[in-house]
Amino acid sequence: MINSNIDALGVIFSNSYDAFVPELVSERLMASIPFASRYRIVDFMLSSMVNSGIDNVSLIVRKNYHSLMDHLGSGREWDLTRKNGGLNIVPPFAQKAINVYHGRVEAMASIMGFLKAQKEKYVIMTDSNIAVNFDFNEMIKAHESNKADVTIAYTRGALPKSLLELKISAKDLYYTFELDGTRVKEVQINSKDDGEKNLSMNIYLLERELLISLIADAFAKGYHFFERDVIMPKLQELNVQGYLFEGYAARILSTASYFEENMKMLDEKNLDALFSPSPIYTKIRDDNPTRYMNGAKVVNTMAADGCVIEGEVENSILFRGVKIGKGAKVKNCVLMQDTVVEDGASIEYIITDKNVTISTGKEMKGTDIYQVYVAKHEVV
Amino acid sequence: MAKEMIAMLLAGGQGSRLYVLTQKLAKPAVPFGGKYRIIDFPLSNCVNSGIDTVGILTQYQPMVLNEYIGNGQPWDLDRLHGGVHVLPPYQTATGSDWYKGTANAIYQNIPFIQRYDPQYVIILSGDQICKQDYSDFLRFHKEKGAEFSVAVMEVPWEEASRFGLMVADENDKITEFQEKPKEPKSNLASMGIYIFNWDILKKYLMEDEEDPNSENDFGKNIIPNLLRDNRKMYAYHFDGYWKDVGTISSLWEANMEVLDPENSGINLFDEDWRIYSRNSGMTGHRIGANAIIEDSMITDGCRIEGHVKHSILFAGVRVEEGAYVEDAVIMGGTVIRSGAVVKHCIVAENVVISEGTQVGEMPEEGRQGVATIGSGVTIGKNAKVGADAMVSENVKDGEVV
Repeated sequence: MINSNIDALGVIFSNSYDAFVPELVSERLMASIPFASRYRIVDFMLSSMVNSGIDNVSLIVRKNYHSLMDHLGSGREWDLTRKNGGLNIVPPFAQKAINVYHGRVEAMASIMGFLKAQKEKYVIMTDSNIAVNFDFNEMIKAHESNKADVTIAYTRGALPKSLLELKISAKDLYYTFELDGTRVKEVQINSKDDGEKNLSMNIYLLERELLISLIADAFAKGYHFFERDVIMPKLQELNVQGYLFEGYAARILSTASYFEENMKMLDEKNLDALFSPSPIYTKIRDDNPTRYMNGAKVVNTMAADGCVIEGEVENSILFRGVKIGKGAKVKNCVLMQDTVVEDGASIEYIITDKNVTISTGKEMKGTDIYQVYVAKHEVV
Repeated sequence: MAKEMIAMLLAGGQGSRLYVLTQKLAKPAVPFGGKYRIIDFPLSNCVNSGIDTVGILTQYQPMVLNEYIGNGQPWDLDRLHGGVHVLPPYQTATGSDWYKGTANAIYQNIPFIQRYDPQYVIILSGDQICKQDYSDFLRFHKEKGAEFSVAVMEVPWEEASRFGLMVADENDKITEFQEKPKEPKSNLASMGIYIFNWDILKKYLMEDEEDPNSENDFGKNIIPNLLRDNRKMYAYHFDGYWKDVGTISSLWEANMEVLDPENSGINLFDEDWRIYSRNSGMTGHRIGANAIIEDSMITDGCRIEGHVKHSILFAGVRVEEGAYVEDAVIMGGTVIRSGAVVKHCIVAENVVISEGTQVGEMPEEGRQGVATIGSGVTIGKNAKVGADAMVSENVKDGEVV
């Protein structure tokens, strides 16, 4: 069956850039990192696809994917419980002689049978470390009017600090490119250049048949990286186009950028930009509304449902089910689901993972440039 | 496959004493407690009690309710066998009838119940706020070897004559039923929640339908008939939180009690007895830099810049800087503009309260009213909505109602 809304299927790489945020992914993967008080970062890409009419989405997972499976379930919350297409989670299929795949080429090769069996004309491949409200129909329009073979979405601006600080030897690569009009002329890997750059969002649009042939060829040659090994050598041969995305994009590139991108949600302009024009879906937890008790003093804060607040909170993001005790002080913090800050505790510039407890009267401080991260289930 | 017990939920009532709040929707669909609707309570009770088949009898303004229930997924009632079914009156080969009364509504759906061939049927009402374990009620019914049981609450004697009362012996066996009597012989008020053996219920419904003088009502006809025939009838004592939210003041009061679970007994924070609802899908709420929030409940999508005290705000409510909200129930999507003062009131969904407007007043001696504003209404700038006002149409700038 061909989708009447959009003739494309989606492929999301769930472990993309895991190495950028080692603490946050110690018990999960990039896609399931909590973001903006009640979401997981993958919700944005999934919702964007669904809102664009895509109802056939595969998530390629490599490791630590239990939390993602738990989050996604059957895909119902994203309206992806479909007879045709729907949500398809692809864990590694370890064959006798092959280890878990490395790089996109092997990952795509592992779903070659699936890709061949589909009917959609286009494939949209994306990462999951970026929160956007993206209209893929616009991208396909640009692709078709440019008569492109491959279209890559990018943002324009100075490179984020987290990327500039990244070690040259880093295994995860990022890509910037030079354009001739809208055509990609040259691609740089892990550029450290100052000034305005075209930074790839790693959102790729191409015809399914072309993808299959590119992957088959690259896999046979033992290549790993789709961008470096497949696209870059073919910039002459293929019409590779850039698609400038001018909407709001929150990239998770390091623990510091994770903190910063959460904090940006406190600015109403950013919040409205990320959550419009289309809704973002997420797993429902059936929490009660958040309760502000007598003695609570809360300013400039975003909170999800299920919180109980008796203390003081300032400039912070509270995920679902956070409890702030009497006389507790929370300032410039990101507190993930079910964090408990007990009576009289005081924290500043802290990121707590799920189910963390800050005990009665404890004091803890990070700084604006270095936030202290407290791992899942820890009791401080 | 037979079910042990299925539930039939009476949700057809207009709820005329809620006035402007039920002009466009049935009483069970009225929003409650920040992110719920009244019907979430009986539905969640069913699921939490292990009842997976619920027929919802609708009649008055069913659109909002139908859409809200959908396939029943938020309550885990999207089942292969059973689940939730909305049952409006329908046309048959011999004609068509509206539901003439509570008993007739069930009578018209005998084929629905028969499909599940249950041993017991529990009759629920869609206009109460109550957390109740129906499986404990069924245990009681079975232990007593009852053919009919009714859940009862002890009420103060001086108020007893406002209720339908069950007179029962020391074994809880019902000996007499008094409907709003002048001289009460009992203080056990019927909650309007019944368990019947299905064969008994069916027999009495069919007999009742044959009686041209019957009002086809459980309280007026079926229960008196059971008593006449000396059926095994028992009263099940319930002592948890229960509130009929049929009036503006009781609805307002019940909402305020949600803010005080420690004393009121209505605890929505109980993880072992969650109340489920259809989600708004909005982002986390935002408390601005100059906001003051005291003793309140706030949910997804709210943006608060003003001062909110002892109030319940539903999804997507905006309170602008300089606005003041106290002892208020503000339903979804409503906007309260800068300088507005909103007190002691219920404001329905998607209302705009403009700059400088005053809505409601704190109660004083001789004036206890809860100001009420119906959905979709715009209240103009510097207008005044009095303490007892009931507003269902736009109010112009500077107007006093």
